[in-house]
Amino acid sequence: MKIVLYLHLHQPWRLARFRYLDLGSGRPYFDDERNLEIFRRIAGKCYRPTLERLARAVDSHPEFRCSLSITGTWVEQAHRAAPDLLSRLRALVATGQVSLVGETYYHSLAFLLAPPELAEEVALQRQMLEQEFGATPKLLRMTELAFSDELARFAAQEGYLGMLAEGWEPLLRNASPNYRYSSHVAPNLAVLLRNYRLSDDVGFRFSSREWNEYPLTAEKYARWIAQSPGEMVGLFMDFETFGEHHPESSGILDFLSALPDAAARETGLGWASVEEASALRTVGFISAPTTITWADQNRDLGAWLGNDLQRSAFEAAKKVGVLVRQSGDPEAITAWRKLLTSDHFYYMYLGGHGADLGVHQYFSAYGSPYDAYANYMNALTDLRQRAIARIHR
Amino acid sequence: MVGWEFPPHHTGGLGVHSFELCRELTLMGHRVTFLTPFTGPFTEIPGVSFRYPGEPAPARSGSTPSSWPTAYDRPIDLGRPYPEAMVDYNGWVAALDGLTEVDVVHVHDWFGTVGAASLARRLGCPLVMTVHSTEYDRSLGHPWKEILDREQSGLDAADRVVAVSRHLKAQLVERYHVPADKVRVIYNAVRPPERLARLESPESVVLYLGRLAAMKGVDTFLRAGARVLRQLPDVLLVVAGEGPEYPRLLTLAAHLDIADRVLFLGKVNEEERSALLARSSVFVLPSIVEPFGIAALEAMAAGVPTIVSKTSGVAEVARDVFAVDFWDIEEFASRIAELLQYPTLRAIMGDRGRTEALREGWPERALETVGVYAELLAPGWVR
Repeated sequence: MKIVLYLHLHQPWRLARFRYLDLGSGRPYFDDERNLEIFRRIAGKCYRPTLERLARAVDSHPEFRCSLSITGTWVEQAHRAAPDLLSRLRALVATGQVSLVGETYYHSLAFLLAPPELAEEVALQRQMLEQEFGATPKLLRMTELAFSDELARFAAQEGYLGMLAEGWEPLLRNASPNYRYSSHVAPNLAVLLRNYRLSDDVGFRFSSREWNEYPLTAEKYARWIAQSPGEMVGLFMDFETFGEHHPESSGILDFLSALPDAAARETGLGWASVEEASALRTVGFISAPTTITWADQNRDLGAWLGNDLQRSAFEAAKKVGVLVRQSGDPEAITAWRKLLTSDHFYYMYLGGHGADLGVHQYFSAYGSPYDAYANYMNALTDLRQRAIARIHR
Repeated sequence: MVGWEFPPHHTGGLGVHSFELCRELTLMGHRVTFLTPFTGPFTEIPGVSFRYPGEPAPARSGSTPSSWPTAYDRPIDLGRPYPEAMVDYNGWVAALDGLTEVDVVHVHDWFGTVGAASLARRLGCPLVMTVHSTEYDRSLGHPWKEILDREQSGLDAADRVVAVSRHLKAQLVERYHVPADKVRVIYNAVRPPERLARLESPESVVLYLGRLAAMKGVDTFLRAGARVLRQLPDVLLVVAGEGPEYPRLLTLAAHLDIADRVLFLGKVNEEERSALLARSSVFVLPSIVEPFGIAALEAMAAGVPTIVSKTSGVAEVARDVFAVDFWDIEEFASRIAELLQYPTLRAIMGDRGRTEALREGWPERALETVGVYAELLAPGWVR
């Protein structure tokens, strides 16, 4: 049994309060200072200590593997707020034990737009990884772990070895997520699935005192994994799980440090990078006619496009995209792409998925979904006016 | 119940609250004697009897013809005390006879506190006082001492105090030194509107509806409106209500050069009110001080997207609104423009606001009030 640990590094460029009255004022859409301040805070609590723990794990356990996806917006902010994180990442990647995963540069909803937007954003991120870390991603993950047959086709066309996806029952039809699968529409493309039970034991439940398995020790967790049937277990989660979603006081960082030791003591338990896992034998085919994600209880796009506010904002963004491309203004294109980052739509969530509203509020940059929508629409309207002015010039 | 105004002739939230509370209490099987300094007419509610100074010498046995002066024949504005009449009214309340089977004396705001306290003492009943606003709020920090004293004596004498928001409760604890454990928060509510149809009109109407008093911040409404009009010249600002600020607001509208885009309607009746709400695109409650703000809840119940000031009591309970700092004219203007410009936002806030405003109503508030009575009465009092 191989542990496939995959962590996702992302921070969005959050918008400043951009009032309707600010239209045409030339004010910046994004609040750089606030974003960098948030980044610095999370770097102190999570990024830096977790990267230190990973470095130690790599040093002391040559069998240890970890795979990371890193968005362009995260790297941009790291350069300005905590550049030491980039050198730490470079050192990790250089060991060959840590590999990188491809995705969109802007953590965007580009996969719902007409080509060539998605291909361009994925290429941007790939170039960024090559430039910053000297490594080329071989596997692809889509924003919020979105997966569909269409995306599988895209990944195969772009030459990727595989994609990551949620190990969701409707997709598996009662099969186990703990194997390497292939895409039904692109048989050469590996599909690595997230074991959401074991992933959420760490991601969601670790610090919950109401959980009957509390406290979770590395030994207990390694034993669970070792005892699971299958050939690989996909532990896919946010990097911020370690030190941000669960504070250091919960013991989460020590848990991470202890995991390689605990795994070494279990017979038959090892580690695999996403590349190594994609080289495992395939046991079956995965078909996803509609998009599934790793979010909320429905695992659909409801978290970003589930209500009229979100859909109307996204439709408006699509239309502005046409104008922005036509304008040929590189700054406008960059601003537009930053506005496609999925987080902006997530903030407009109105509830309706039961307990998930709490999760949304935890991550929201606004007091209410209405604030999020109005602010977004103001920035988008301003961008639209800018693009139109440019076109008519 | 020692009250003040009562519908149909009421000017604010107090009259609405008294009416709805009386109605719900009688529906629960309680009987209410409502004392007021006004001669009426009163909107009839079965189970509620009205008493006022100078009432026609009644068939009530044992009551001597009143030597007290006649009550006012119409409501007067709060905050303009009539000291003598006030003393007289309290004397009349304290000495009132012909009352039987009283379980609790419940007084609203300051004007009847002294009389209510003596009445409760004489009858051996607990005293409950509901505070709808304080003199500090109404006077924007320039309180009339006579009124402060009456508020204080009511708060001191009351066995339980009801505040219409947490914000107001905090003020009672801080400024009047009322022990926090004596105060219960019971919010206002709104009755489901009979008319639900929304009227689409070519002109966007932005509405203020309420008294034209300094604490209401209506000048913010006009200034924000003027900012919106620079960008959206077809907007119509409607100010419905009357009050001492009217002349000043009229001058301000002229000064802002928006007089042709502002409609001052004066006082509106119930029917006009619902017609106005039905065709408004945005409702604004820009109050500097607002212990609760029923008007905002009414607008929400009518499906009108609503902007309130952060300090209002209604902002404590309503999530489906925009909440803005009362001094932030630019932000009020932006919120108005955003609601006018983004139809999806307007529709969703309108729909969800209506659901939220009607989730709980006066029956729940009356139950909470009875819960406060029950804290003070013998076990088993609640049927």
